Amino acid sequence: MYLETNNVKKSYGEGGSFMEVLKGISVSVEKGDMCVIQGTSGSGKSTLLNCIGGLDLSDSGSIKVDGKEICGLSQEKLSDYRRENLGFIFQFYNLVPNLTVKENIQVCEYLSPQPLKLSELLETLGLTEHQNKFPSQLSGGQQQRCAIARALIKNPKLLLCDEPTGALDSATSRDILVLLEEVNRKYKTTMLIVTHNNSIKNMVDQVIYLKDGQIKKNYRNEQKVPAAELEDL
Amino acid sequence: MQKILRKRILRDLKENLARYLALALLIVLGMYIVVSLVAAADTVIVRSAGAAKEQAAEDGQFRLFAPLDSVQLQKLEEKGVTVEAHFYLDYEIADGSVLRVFANREKIDRVQADFGELPGEEKDIFLEKRYCEEHDISVRDRITIGNRSFTVCGIGTTPDYEAPYRNLSDSAVDSKQFGTGFVSLADYEELKETVKSLQSEEHVYAYLLNDRLTDKELKEILQDFCLSAEDVGDTYFQEYWDRTGGKLAEFKEGMDGLTDASADLADGMSALEKQGKTLSETAAMLEAVPAFGGLQAGITGYTEGVADAAEGSRKLADGISGFSRETKKWLDDNFDTGLSKLTQFLAAHDNIRIGAAADDVMINKMAGLFAGVLLIILFAYVISVFVVHTIEKESQVIGTLYALGVKRRELLTHYLFLPVIITFVSGIIGTVVGYSSFGVRTQMKDVYNYFSVPDFSVLHEPYLLVYGILMPPAAAALTNLFVIYRKLKKPALSLIRREQKMSKSRQIKLAKTGFVRTFQIRQLLREMRTAFTIFFGMLFALLVCMISLNCYVLCEHVREDTVKDTKYEYMYTYKYPGETVPEDGEEAYGVTLKKEVLGYNLDVTLLGIHDGNPYFEAPVSGGQGDVLISEAVASKFGLNTGDDLVLKDGENDRSYAFTVKGTVPYSAGMFVFMDIDSLRKLMDKNEDYYNIVFADHALDIDSGRLYAASSKEEVQKSADVFVELMWPMIIMLSAVSALIFLVVMYLMLKVMVDRSASSISMLKVFGYRKKEIRKLYLNGNLAVVAVSALVSIPVSKAVMDALYPYLVSNVAANLNLTFSWWMYAGLFTAIIVLYFLSMPILMRRINKILPAEVLKNRE
Repeated sequence: MYLETNNVKKSYGEGGSFMEVLKGISVSVEKGDMCVIQGTSGSGKSTLLNCIGGLDLSDSGSIKVDGKEICGLSQEKLSDYRRENLGFIFQFYNLVPNLTVKENIQVCEYLSPQPLKLSELLETLGLTEHQNKFPSQLSGGQQQRCAIARALIKNPKLLLCDEPTGALDSATSRDILVLLEEVNRKYKTTMLIVTHNNSIKNMVDQVIYLKDGQIKKNYRNEQKVPAAELEDL
Repeated sequence: MQKILRKRILRDLKENLARYLALALLIVLGMYIVVSLVAAADTVIVRSAGAAKEQAAEDGQFRLFAPLDSVQLQKLEEKGVTVEAHFYLDYEIADGSVLRVFANREKIDRVQADFGELPGEEKDIFLEKRYCEEHDISVRDRITIGNRSFTVCGIGTTPDYEAPYRNLSDSAVDSKQFGTGFVSLADYEELKETVKSLQSEEHVYAYLLNDRLTDKELKEILQDFCLSAEDVGDTYFQEYWDRTGGKLAEFKEGMDGLTDASADLADGMSALEKQGKTLSETAAMLEAVPAFGGLQAGITGYTEGVADAAEGSRKLADGISGFSRETKKWLDDNFDTGLSKLTQFLAAHDNIRIGAAADDVMINKMAGLFAGVLLIILFAYVISVFVVHTIEKESQVIGTLYALGVKRRELLTHYLFLPVIITFVSGIIGTVVGYSSFGVRTQMKDVYNYFSVPDFSVLHEPYLLVYGILMPPAAAALTNLFVIYRKLKKPALSLIRREQKMSKSRQIKLAKTGFVRTFQIRQLLREMRTAFTIFFGMLFALLVCMISLNCYVLCEHVREDTVKDTKYEYMYTYKYPGETVPEDGEEAYGVTLKKEVLGYNLDVTLLGIHDGNPYFEAPVSGGQGDVLISEAVASKFGLNTGDDLVLKDGENDRSYAFTVKGTVPYSAGMFVFMDIDSLRKLMDKNEDYYNIVFADHALDIDSGRLYAASSKEEVQKSADVFVELMWPMIIMLSAVSALIFLVVMYLMLKVMVDRSASSISMLKVFGYRKKEIRKLYLNGNLAVVAVSALVSIPVSKAVMDALYPYLVSNVAANLNLTFSWWMYAGLFTAIIVLYFLSMPILMRRINKILPAEVLKNRE
């Protein structure tokens, strides 16, 4: 298993405002798999993603990535962990506004000793012709492609995507999902995608459904639908 | 990565060019002023010391009642001291100014020519440069002195009149009214013969100790020198001597006559006694003749009587001799009759004319260096507000970069880069301009316009380069490091979510007020940091402003007080007072003593007057220990009624302690008043002694009797000089402070607007109008500016009032720094006006915020 969580718990607040968001989550994901975490608002899916990404700290339990325990690591070590292993994609692209597409990607290129080839990545993501544009000159989909390229350039072993299509229209969402699919196939990147979108579960290897901080469903897709054929996005 | 991020720095700079340019310009201006000010100070300090060495500047000078004789000069030479006579005469020139004429110097305080040459030819005169500047005199011009015409052969300086005060008790240099000139010895002697000088010749000697004696040792030698009255040719002196010290000499001569006469009497009686013995022997032969028995008895009686008388006269002679000896000893002990009595001994370090420029600029240097650091910290903090604003704006980007593994220190370096580079580049430009000959010479204008110093070549001290170039980026790095680190310390998730920690101070519950007021208060609480920056920017600007305003009020008060308090029209200071006080004159007795304050020995005149003197409201009463002090003395030395006042007589190494009994409303001079009779007693003077006469019109007094004659008009002109001299500095500092405040306030308010751009955009979406938005976002700032002004004005005034005595420690004047109410009101109004001036620019910024902005940000 590439990713394993065991009885991960996380709560916020105290007294009257106390809320247990994760109530002992235990999941595992194979290397190179695409996995979707679904659930309603407040189910804990983003919190689980953030705990796996080392952005949030779990109260208890264990999270192992590639066999290494990340719970209990210091902020400095967590930063190293993210630097060496992870790529992040968020709903809002969070690009540096006054850097071009190429430069935004280059920001992360330097974080890895063996980054992917920039021109190839630009080509794969269809950004070659936009590489010298600033984020404000791009559409939402193009900005998200840029964010994906930025996350991928350092060739991460694990790509964490928090609502990657949340801010996009249906056609653009499909394009992005096709792209993720292609990246997964080409670079064998393990992907964890948090989404509200019910259709996305059809294109991935594994589906985890959370409700009230607990796993309600956790299954593997027997028959994957290619992203290009997804409906109701 | 840094390489890539650096690309955005340039873009960030371009996007906010106006903001950074304004700030950079202020830093350039600030560093230019500070560096040029300090470089000018260093140039003056070092170069004037060099010039002093080159011109053989005196170690000190002393003033004698009459010239030294050859024996005394030889004694001083044997002691290894170099002495040179710097006698002088003061002449009134056609335009009413006074020129002090010396014979050219050979050994000490040599003249240095800026233009022309030293006096060599007959009827050549070398003039001091400041006097020439004020009177448009050039080389080859002609000038009439004491009805003799001279050609100006050269213009330059001497180190003993670097600050060309006419009198050491003057509080300001006025080169329109006074200057110095140097002629050949022959011309000087010829001038003296004209008897046209304003006063008698002053016998001043300059000395160089040559490391052989100390000032104190030399003074002790001089105090022992005695001169004979016959050596002094001055007729006024002889007349004065006959009435004073001469009387004592006559008395001593009488004592000698009495002693001699009694000795003669004793001698005569002894001779008679001897003759009486012969007569007795003859009478003894008559013993055999009974008829002469009676005669013999008579002779015996006579000779015995003569013997007794002889014995008595010898005793009388011994007694008178002893009495005479003891009387003379007592007189010598109790009456100072030595003609060599030192009238003044002034070591160079106590002479306000010498090294004055260096003393003056030393304050500029220290204040400049300190103000420079404060200025840079202020601007560095202003930049940090921008950076913090940028970080908050880019919070999600930063969080994402953290999530991707970018380290905090990498972003810290990135965000530090711009403040450091702006301050570094601005520092370099400011320093280069300030350090250039143009910058330094511009700052030195003040020195050249007041002091009489040679043209100095600009000195470049390496430490100033380090200060000007490295201090700004270092200060910016430190200030921003602290502020930025705190902002970047947040966890990645918190940054991505744009979580804002709300301090408890912002969570206060507001009393029921209208919506607008509540909104304004909430906005203010949110923008507390920028509000504080406005406050500190205003405080700093006001501190700079207060330097100039205090300078202005000080000069104005000196001028007004001088006009108000100088009630006499003429003041005559005597060297040889006449037997009677001139008709219509009010006698006084003045003694110049010293009192130290903040390292400076200032002259204080102890003035003995009669109660009811019409020119001073000083109800003096008897008692040697009781004095009244002028307001100038009270403020300069911080004295109050009941305090002890100790004044030092430097010439005689004596100190006088007094009790302050009250303050006299007199600010025009450093005067201490006491009853004239008490002062006479204290100083062992005759009961009718005086040396100053005040009058309400010009009196007919021979100039040969006088040290100085000054009129109310001259005193007032001298007071006007203060304002005139300081005006350019007052204007410059006021303008700089206004600019600092305006830029800091504008930049901070603009940051406030930028931070609220989304909310403003949202309000526009809701349908708010420009006026309403202005009311919500800008009008609330008026309260910040107004409250900051209400706090900053008194605080900056109090701080500068406390510091000001140190800035003007060498100025002997009443430190009246009181502002009238309209000045406070004017200052407050000026601040509010500056605030309103920045409003249209801020409104333009608000108008540029589109309703779509909020949608764009949330896209």
